[in-house]
Amino acid sequence: MTDYSIQERSLQPTSARVEHPLIETARMFAGNRAALSGLAMLFIIVVVSLAGPWFYPTDPFEMVWSPFSPPGAKGFLLGTDYLGRDLLAQIIHGGRATLAVGCAAALLSVFIGITFGALSGFYRGWIEETLMRITEFFQVLPTLLFSMVLVALFGASLGMITFAIGIVSWTGVARITRAEFLKIRELEYVTAARSSGASNTNLIFRVILPNSLPPIIVQAALLIGFAILFEAGLSFLGLSDANVMSWGAIMGNNRPYILLHGFTIMYPGLAIFLTVLSISLIGDGLNDALNPKLRNR
Amino acid sequence: MGLTKQWVSAFGAVLLALSAVSVQAETPKHGGTLVVSIGTTPRHLNPAVQSGIATGEPGAQLFATLVRFDDKWNARPYLAKSWQTSADGLVVTFNLVEGATFHDGTPITSKDVAFSIKTIQTNHPFKSMFRAVSSVETPNPNTVVFKLSKPHPALMLALSSQLGSIIPEHIYGDGQDPKKHPRNSKDVVGSGPFKLVEFVRDQHIIMERNENFFIKGRPYLDKLVMRIIKDPSARSLGRENGEIHLSAFESTPQDILHSKNVPHLTATDQGYAAIGPITWLAFNTKKKPTSDKRVRQAIAYAVDRDFLVNAVMMGTSRPAYTGIHPDSIFHEPNVARYDLDIDKANAMLDEAGYARDADGMRFPLTIDFGWPSAKPMAEYMKPQLKKIGIDVTVRTSAGFPAWAKTVSTWDFDMTVDVVFNWGDPVIGVHRTYLCDNAKKGVIWSNTQQYCNPKVDAILTKAGQENDQQKRIALYSSAQKIIADDVPIYFTDTVPYHTIFNHTKVGNPPATIWGTCSPLDEVYLKN
Repeated sequence: MTDYSIQERSLQPTSARVEHPLIETARMFAGNRAALSGLAMLFIIVVVSLAGPWFYPTDPFEMVWSPFSPPGAKGFLLGTDYLGRDLLAQIIHGGRATLAVGCAAALLSVFIGITFGALSGFYRGWIEETLMRITEFFQVLPTLLFSMVLVALFGASLGMITFAIGIVSWTGVARITRAEFLKIRELEYVTAARSSGASNTNLIFRVILPNSLPPIIVQAALLIGFAILFEAGLSFLGLSDANVMSWGAIMGNNRPYILLHGFTIMYPGLAIFLTVLSISLIGDGLNDALNPKLRNR
Repeated sequence: MGLTKQWVSAFGAVLLALSAVSVQAETPKHGGTLVVSIGTTPRHLNPAVQSGIATGEPGAQLFATLVRFDDKWNARPYLAKSWQTSADGLVVTFNLVEGATFHDGTPITSKDVAFSIKTIQTNHPFKSMFRAVSSVETPNPNTVVFKLSKPHPALMLALSSQLGSIIPEHIYGDGQDPKKHPRNSKDVVGSGPFKLVEFVRDQHIIMERNENFFIKGRPYLDKLVMRIIKDPSARSLGRENGEIHLSAFESTPQDILHSKNVPHLTATDQGYAAIGPITWLAFNTKKKPTSDKRVRQAIAYAVDRDFLVNAVMMGTSRPAYTGIHPDSIFHEPNVARYDLDIDKANAMLDEAGYARDADGMRFPLTIDFGWPSAKPMAEYMKPQLKKIGIDVTVRTSAGFPAWAKTVSTWDFDMTVDVVFNWGDPVIGVHRTYLCDNAKKGVIWSNTQQYCNPKVDAILTKAGQENDQQKRIALYSSAQKIIADDVPIYFTDTVPYHTIFNHTKVGNPPATIWGTCSPLDEVYLKN
């Protein structure tokens, strides 16, 4: 039944004009309400995190009032943490570090993943064997434990935390990239490019990689959300940079008092939840918009 | 309405307190199993060659000592029924209890005492405990004579609790390294009120009543189980649901406060006078700019001790003004306290020539901490010292060993630290200040590298003074000089609490050594 209808539709002439793929993707994305609301939510979060500190300049480390003041006390909208520091200031200022760690770690893992995936998918042979064994090694590592060891060994600085998250989360990108490369390198247009004298570098970067990007982009978007959650997890276990405020750090700092003053953990938890949710919605939307099988419905 | 309710609950609390008092007065009963929780697995169970409370708690049950202490710093007979000190203080003669035996039935003789002291002298990390003991003579099986090279006022404390454990020569004198002796954790033979049944690492230490204990009719308990539970919340839960009768060395403010809301639990900070745990902020006195006394004093003025006690520790700790615990007879409360004064601190730094730069900062400093419960204090320093223009970076260590390495190799500006007094200042206090104890690589030595010849002279003198009043005066002056020099800014006591089920536990340990003393007087109600 379904097969029949698809076939029938594909037999019909599509639109008169051929759309640019980017415009087509944007149109697909714009038609996805969940993805749009995710985008709007993320936009607000990013704007508040980036511009908020100028509008709400209270130092997130400054002890402004008595510890664990309830929300609203003395004009502090969200109350204060265990050292009497303004929670609203911590949420607003903490967003920068959280998003920065998320993006940087995702970027790092995408970089490592594409490198591994592209090289092994393109050259195959012993290069593929070696790189894929390394990928498998990282795949079977208990990620949280490995990151904890790294951070514990080399100190809990923001850079180290970012590195520790990036280094454990690239295997998915590597596998996807490799699969795309394996598929695309056999296609006619690659053969055509090769026969007209394109170098290997050219083939990898200008021919195959651009065409394998869609699933990688989706994966990268999801990785940002994953990295933010991971940072929160590490902080919750006490492995956070004590000199930088992040949402995870707020949770980690106040964790011992969770039973006595739960509200201190609620706000950063909510902020992380909304951010990751919006990123997931965007990721899903991108997936739908970039997937050729779902086009022209 | 609300008021009446409050009164009713207050009345109920008074009733409860009264009933608790009346229950305490009942006569002890024999029998039952007491379940105690401990937070760490001891390396082994032989306190003669291993310091620390992890070994001390079970160790004091397995091994008896010559003397024991009450709750008022008085030495009481234990394995020694009496003792005499010569007029010059250089000869101390102990008369042992007759007929006392080790757990395997072998009689305890003066030879075992001499062997034990020798073993402790060569193997225990606290070298100052018996450094003054030049020889231990054994004129007959029941008499031990300590010959001292100089008067040693800390001798009695060093012979009590976990510090002066008497170990059997016929077991540990077989030529093996006492620190690695297999009998340190298996088939342990001592002469304490309890015998070892089983020690399973990370699980439990099970002990049973020593039927032939040299104090007749004791202990009251049939069995003593120490469950090793690392997670504070799990211990808290265990106490609440009745699985654990007693936990000592609980220091998490939330858990202490929580236990006060549980009707069947009592939390007390009694029993830690001898351990004497103090939290402090240590400075590197040989590294700029903390080498400048005015900088250290300014920082001291900028730190709010009241905030640390009341907010960070939630009122569970007590302020400490010197390196000697407030419960010690040698504590001197009238020293420079550096009560919070930000303006004065700023003025001092201005005067010392540390001007603020364009960002309002004078200089950067780092602060280290080595364990999770020290983190709040380290974090507190960052915003607080910013007020006087010091840019503090909090350095998180990769666990305790990494922190110990950083601090003991003097690679720090400031650090949060906790140090124990261990009964007598000679044992636990001198080490922090003596010039020649600035030993690189040794944690809890004089890691501040503080050196004041005046303090050295006073401490050395106090360490050889047998007259209690004169000693108190000497330590008083030393504490005043140290407070003025601030190599360390003392913040508060570690809020160690013993939390126990008062409907079950009778005679909870209350001596100066707390649970690190023999629990032969503890009994189970019903």
